[in-house]
Parts: sequence; C-alpha cells; structure tokens
Amino acid sequence: MSKTMEELYSPLVKGKQKAAARNWNSSKLWRKLKPYLYLLPAAILLGIWMYKPLIHTFYLAFHKWSMVPGTDKLFVGFDNFTRLLQNEAFAGAIGNTVFYTLGLLPFSIAIPLVLAVVTNQMNPRMKNFYRALFFIPMILAPVSVSAIWRWLFHPSNGIVNHLLLKLGFVQEQIAFFSDASWAKWIILLITGWKMLGFSTIMFAAALTGINREYYEAGAIDGAGSFRQFLYITVPLMSPMILFMLTMSLLFSSQWTFAYIDILTTGGPYGTSTNIYYEMYRFAFSNLNVGVSSAAAMLFFVLFGLIALSLNAVSRRFAFYDN
Amino acid sequence: MNKRSQVLSMFQHGALALMCAAAIIPLYWMVISSLKNESEIFTASLFPLQPTFGNYSYAFSQMPIVRMIFNSFGVSILMTVLQLATGLLAAYALVRWRFRGKSLIFALLSVTWLIPFQAIMIPNYVLINDMGLNETLLGIVLPFGVSTFAILSLYQAFQSFPGVLIEAACIDGLSDWGILTRLILPNIRSTVASLGIIQFINAWNEYLWPMLVTKDMNSAPIQIGLKLFVNSDTNMWGSLMAATTVSCLPILLIYLVLRRQIVDSFIRFGIK
Repeated sequence: MSKTMEELYSPLVKGKQKAAARNWNSSKLWRKLKPYLYLLPAAILLGIWMYKPLIHTFYLAFHKWSMVPGTDKLFVGFDNFTRLLQNEAFAGAIGNTVFYTLGLLPFSIAIPLVLAVVTNQMNPRMKNFYRALFFIPMILAPVSVSAIWRWLFHPSNGIVNHLLLKLGFVQEQIAFFSDASWAKWIILLITGWKMLGFSTIMFAAALTGINREYYEAGAIDGAGSFRQFLYITVPLMSPMILFMLTMSLLFSSQWTFAYIDILTTGGPYGTSTNIYYEMYRFAFSNLNVGVSSAAAMLFFVLFGLIALSLNAVSRRFAFYDN
Repeated sequence: MNKRSQVLSMFQHGALALMCAAAIIPLYWMVISSLKNESEIFTASLFPLQPTFGNYSYAFSQMPIVRMIFNSFGVSILMTVLQLATGLLAAYALVRWRFRGKSLIFALLSVTWLIPFQAIMIPNYVLINDMGLNETLLGIVLPFGVSTFAILSLYQAFQSFPGVLIEAACIDGLSDWGILTRLILPNIRSTVASLGIIQFINAWNEYLWPMLVTKDMNSAPIQIGLKLFVNSDTNMWGSLMAATTVSCLPILLIYLVLRRQIVDSFIRFGIK
C-alpha cells in the first residue's frame, strides 16, 4: 500500500523540483506560496463551516427570520437581544446553566483530585486495571448513556426506584425525569458520572510528573499528609487544575446538551434546560432564528471573556516546577 | 506506621473499587436487561435466569441497525481521515516555514476553541439544505472535515521533531512533500494514530449535528437511530437495551483492544 502511494506521488514531486530548478524567480514565488498551499484545505473548510457561519450568525442576530427558504430577513436592530433578556424562560435557563457549571466542579475537580492523590502510590498494575475500568463512561456516546440511565431511573420499572422502595427510603416511586425537583439533578449526575474517571486520570497523570523529593523534604520538615497535599501537591498541580477548571467551566453546559434533549427536552416546565438547549429550541422548535442567534452571540462573547480571564489567572498563579 | 499504611491501602482500594462499580454497573445492567425475557425484564434479578436473544432479534427487526452501524463507521472514518489529512498539511506548514500572517492564523485557530456549535449551527444547516446534502453522510461529515484541535495537536507533535534532521533531509535533496511523508510521518506515526483514535471516538459519539442533518433511520448514524427508538415511547425496554448494547459494542471492542493507547491519547491530547 505505502509503496503504491510513493509511486503515485513521486512523479509529482520530481515535477515540482524540476520546475523549481528551471527558474529562480518562479521558485522564489513558489517558495513564498508553499505554506499557504499546505494550509489551503484546512483554511477552505474552516472558512466555509466555521468563520463564515459565525459572521452569518452575528448578522442573523439583528434580523427576524424563520428559516423558510426564499423569505426575507427583516432587520430589527437590537430587538432580538431585548426580547431575549425579557424572556423568562431564558432567565431560568441561565440559572440552570450556572447550576450545571458549578455542580459539575466536584466531579471534574474536587473528587478526582483527591482520588488521584490517594491512589498515587499504588502498584502500577492495579492502577492500570482500575484506570481501564473507570475510563469507560468517558468514551461512551451520550445517546447510549442516556438510554441506559433512562432505564435505570425508569419511574415504574427502573432498578433505582426498585431499590429505593425495597430499602424503604421512599414510600412511592419517583418520576425522576418529570419531577421538577429531580430532573436537573439526574442530568448533572450523568454528566458528572461521565467526567469523573476522565478527570481522575488526568490528575493522576499530572501527579506522576511531580518530583518525589519535595515530599521527602516536606516530611523532614514535619508536614503531615494533609499539609503536604495543601502546600506541595496543589501548587505543583495548579497548571492541570486550572486547565481542568477552564474545560469544566467552558464546556459543562455543552456536555449536558444531549442528556437534556434525550431525557427531559428541558422540562418539566423548563426546569432542566440550559442556554445551549434554549438556543437550539429557539431555532428549530420556534423557528425564531434571530433570538437564537442573539443568544449564541451573547454567550460566545461572555464565555470568551471568561476564557480570557481564566487564561490571565493561570498565567499569574499557575506554578511551574522548572 | 504499618497499620496506618494498611488502612490507607484498604481505603485506596475501597475508593477505586467503588468508582469502578459506579462506572461499570450501568453497563452491566444494560447487557443483563437486554438478555432478559419479557417476564423477567421488570424484576431486579442480577442475571437472566432464562437468557434470550429475542430482544436483539426484535430490535433488529424494528430498526435498520446494521445499516446505521455501517453509516456510523462511514461517517467516523471519513471524518477522522479528513481531519488528519487537513491537520497534517496545516500543521506541517506552521512548523516548517515562517510566513506572513502566521500569528493571525494561530489566533484564528485558537478562537475556534471557543465557538460553541450552537453559534454556527443555523447557517451550516441552511447551507447543507441548500446543497441538498441533508439525509446524506457527506452532509454530516463536511462541516467536521477539519478540526483545529487536530491541527494544534499535530503542530505540537511536529515541534518535538528535531529540526536538524529536517535540514539534513533538505540538503540531501528531499522535497518538502517528501520530508512530510517520508521523514516526519513515519516517525510520529504513533502520535497520529492516537489522535486518530480520539477523533474517531468523538465522531462516533457526535450528536447535535447528525441529529439536525438526518431524520430518517436509513441515512442516520446509530446514535440518531437509537435516539428515535428511545423517544418512540415503547415499553420495550429489553430491545431498547439490546439496541443500546449494539450501539456501544464497536467502541467497547476498540477499547478492549487499544485501551492503553486510548487512555494515553486522551491524557496526551485532552478533550474538546
């Protein structure tokens, strides 16, 4: 296979070389152009499917349009933004987004960090065995995961309700997905379940990079394990902690999207929806492209600012052991 | 001291075993439920007393599962190959030459990290419809033909390649294309493979975009078909779990074979 590839490409390569040798001037131009040629496929695809749509969404944010082909887009100024901010459902979605974002932090930072530290000294064989198992949720598709959890938490026949009843924790079955006080907790739990193993492994990997001598020095100075954790582990782990924090804060609401769509469609009464799901609903259920685009732009900028400030924080406070 | 370390070790194993149980039990329950017959499915028995494949045959008769798995493979492989190809070319240009606009390109690439798909989905959806590509695999693949995550990851991998070797190859008269394909690529094969694995898994698990593009089971990847089946409000939980098991199987099999590489590549490249 590789041989035929070489044969295929070699005439082309030789041709290029000859052309280059023939004329100094054209070879100079060729050399100048070359980087751009290599970038071209990526640039074309990014231009068509990423940057142009982004600008287009910005344009749509100031227009009223229902996505019907052939209809005109009506310029409405900042109308979409004011309507968005007055929309009560959207205010609730923002609240839930904050709930999901903060609620995921124990699963993406706190518990994994402790687990990684506690298991750091384990024998490598066992560690690999455990790792292989608790990494599995991470690689499974959100749809499959949703289907499984829907069955686990099924209101009348799910195993969770079955156990809760049998153990006497509840008197009657809980309708987890249609009970307003439960729906968003279940979605948070699923997202956290998927995140936990992955974060633990990331922190464990960062831990193995820490020089053991610091702990020996700490132990000689009389620092107990808790103080070692606080004054040695945490500072040396700070780049990884900040990285995971950034990922978690920026993407947690995107990660919940599939679970919301499949398990609750945002309900009951919008109690489990978030901003990204509302954007999808504005566009594809209400056919209100303008408001969806306005929301997308607003939060693109907002999350951009959050990312910038997190970046500044990590430059300032992350501690690198050189 | 000895006793303390024993307690610690017990705690370690306890914590990890608990986590593994939490990770595995839902999957176990999925497989077990898929093998239970109608009278057993609503009981809490930990394994099927009369295991049956009836749920599987029902699921296969209700949905074009083979077709959808095939679609998923098509989409994921095509996406991965495109992303690696465009990524390799772009990363090579960025490492190899200094040229005008390079820092602007880096800035533009980094920004894409922050663009949520919801901020580009409407124009992309309209464009795919205008091109007549809805309900096609190409329609799912095209917007994901390039991944800035892949470009930047490959850029990092290229950077660690010794520049002296490239210079030497240059003097030996190897063309720029030759340097990429015959010198660098063979040496960073494993990196490219790791990245490919991640991109494949991500493509396989993609949800929002395939859902917008395909509505019909025959043209949908397995994830979308499964979603349609979940939402069809049947009470056929046995066959639903059978279908779910089938949808997880390819990824789980790949994981079984390549688990070291998969875990390592996720550690190396992180997630998007």
